[in-house]
Amino acid sequence: MATVNGRRRRWWATGLVYLAVLVFAAWILLPLWYALTSSLTTADQLSIRPYPLIPGELTLDNFRGVLTGNTGSETVGTTDLGARLVPAIGQSVLVSALLVVLNLVIGGLGAYGLSRYPFRGSNAFHLGIIATRVVPAIAIVGPFFILLRNADLLNTPWALVITYNVFTLPLAMMVLKNYFDQLPREIEEAAMVDGTSRLKALWLIVVPLARPGLVAAGVLIFLEAWSEFFYSLVLTNQLTVPPLLAGLQSVQQFNWNTLAAATVITMIPPVVLTLVFQRHVVGALAAGYDK
Amino acid sequence: MTTTAPPQGSVPAPAGDPPAGAAPRRRRRNSLTASDARFGRGIVTPSAIVLVLLLLAPTVLTVVYSFYDVPASGDGLGEFAGIGNYEVVFGSPVFWKSLQVTLIFTVGFVVLSTLIGLAVALLLNQEFRGRGLARSLLVLPWATPWLVIGILWKWYADGSVGGLNGILMRLHIIGDYVEFLSDPTWAMVIAVLSAAWRQSCFAAILFLAGLQTLPKIQHEAAAIDGAGVWKRFRHVTIPWLRPVLTTVTVLNIIYAFLQFDVIYALTQGGPGDATQVLSILIYRQLFVVTNIGTGSALAVILGAIALAGGLLTVRLLYGKREAS
Repeated sequence: MATVNGRRRRWWATGLVYLAVLVFAAWILLPLWYALTSSLTTADQLSIRPYPLIPGELTLDNFRGVLTGNTGSETVGTTDLGARLVPAIGQSVLVSALLVVLNLVIGGLGAYGLSRYPFRGSNAFHLGIIATRVVPAIAIVGPFFILLRNADLLNTPWALVITYNVFTLPLAMMVLKNYFDQLPREIEEAAMVDGTSRLKALWLIVVPLARPGLVAAGVLIFLEAWSEFFYSLVLTNQLTVPPLLAGLQSVQQFNWNTLAAATVITMIPPVVLTLVFQRHVVGALAAGYDK
Repeated sequence: MTTTAPPQGSVPAPAGDPPAGAAPRRRRRNSLTASDARFGRGIVTPSAIVLVLLLLAPTVLTVVYSFYDVPASGDGLGEFAGIGNYEVVFGSPVFWKSLQVTLIFTVGFVVLSTLIGLAVALLLNQEFRGRGLARSLLVLPWATPWLVIGILWKWYADGSVGGLNGILMRLHIIGDYVEFLSDPTWAMVIAVLSAAWRQSCFAAILFLAGLQTLPKIQHEAAAIDGAGVWKRFRHVTIPWLRPVLTTVTVLNIIYAFLQFDVIYALTQGGPGDATQVLSILIYRQLFVVTNIGTGSALAVILGAIALAGGLLTVRLLYGKREAS
């Protein structure tokens, strides 16, 4: 460690720290930078060896292509593959938003109950919730596939809104219970002494106080639903963005420039959300609740 | 012996007596009544129903499937196969190869994610200009969807348009572009690197949070006692971080066993079967060759492996909370 709290560092130690930071930044940023520059340049530039760190020719055509659905990737008798990105974004937003609302309500009530009104079996249930993070979602997809097919729900957003609860609901409950546990009980208890009902105390007093926790849980649910790939791959026909990207990647006519533009667009919502709510999210993360 | 005080157990208990586990709460809220417990049960019920229906039921069904010759059409269970599916799995070299690949990936992923994460956290805990910005970099890979990480790295490591190749060539490490993903060993290296690229950031976020709560006085005291940089790291920082270190390691182990997205996007298990981890094999069994019976048996095996790691997590996470 180069610095001991306040004492001055030697000049070479300072240099070493900055060098290490530079290496760290390169390790994180280079893959992202490569995708970003690829999305902003032409195929010709990409084939230059070695690839320039800053491409010589810049264009927005790739973004225009995937957003208007004119990527030149249609083969005889098919529509342009790029035309599927915008509808997929719509479906992703729909599924993610529905899950955020559903999970904050159902999971919030459940987490609050576990935190404030323990009952016989509530501890076992809480342990069960923690245990769910190790149930491999992949391992239980078989029954989902068969049941959803029999219910004629395959390839609908509902298939995903239902199945994503497998990971989003336990996540929401862990983050929220952790948050409720840290809130002082005195205010709501005082309100209840004054005759406010338990539900009313929850809605009028606890919910406003718990807003940072609710925001963190909401962002985590959104990220998880937005990012989910496997269930969407097998339960739908590229309905949401991730399986669509995987599909585009395996199509010959679809070049990396265009795919890079689609990839960059896919990254914008989760990255922006996380940066905006960084403080809330990192707080929940530090408690060990990864998405 | 006089019988003045009745034995403790015979104290008349109210119907909604809180369970033993809620003991600390009883101190704060001694007014917890039967009606409160009923209310608690009432508002927890919806989430409990959802989780039982969506987690417990499919888990049980998967186990049941693994003992049947389930027809690909999904109509009924088909013929009872006993342990036939498991015999097929354990008798297949594909399974053993896949298990080996999974273990190699897991070891590489866990070691790299934890070590890089720790190193980065120590670095970002130093004082330097632009530290806030550098810390923000950590959330970029973390917020990136796993599948997108696979896509980014597939093209980053690509042999014809690759960015990584461009950089290595500029540094004169390679003479011409290398087809990393066509080589079995390199494909595994890239798979581990790309997954660790994200997971080391998650680890670093946790380690950094732990470092920030480390009382400065501990380091100062050790420094006054003449402890050098390495000694302070070894005897002050590491013991302080031990609980976080355990959590991170166990979480990383689970993540490694369940990883699917990155490898699917990078190599789909290839070249050949060089990166075919168990989750990819399950996907192929269930949805490519539609053998639901053996696919389910594989799923049960993967689940059992992950559960072994998971029980450990529960114990650690829960044990930590009890202690604090």
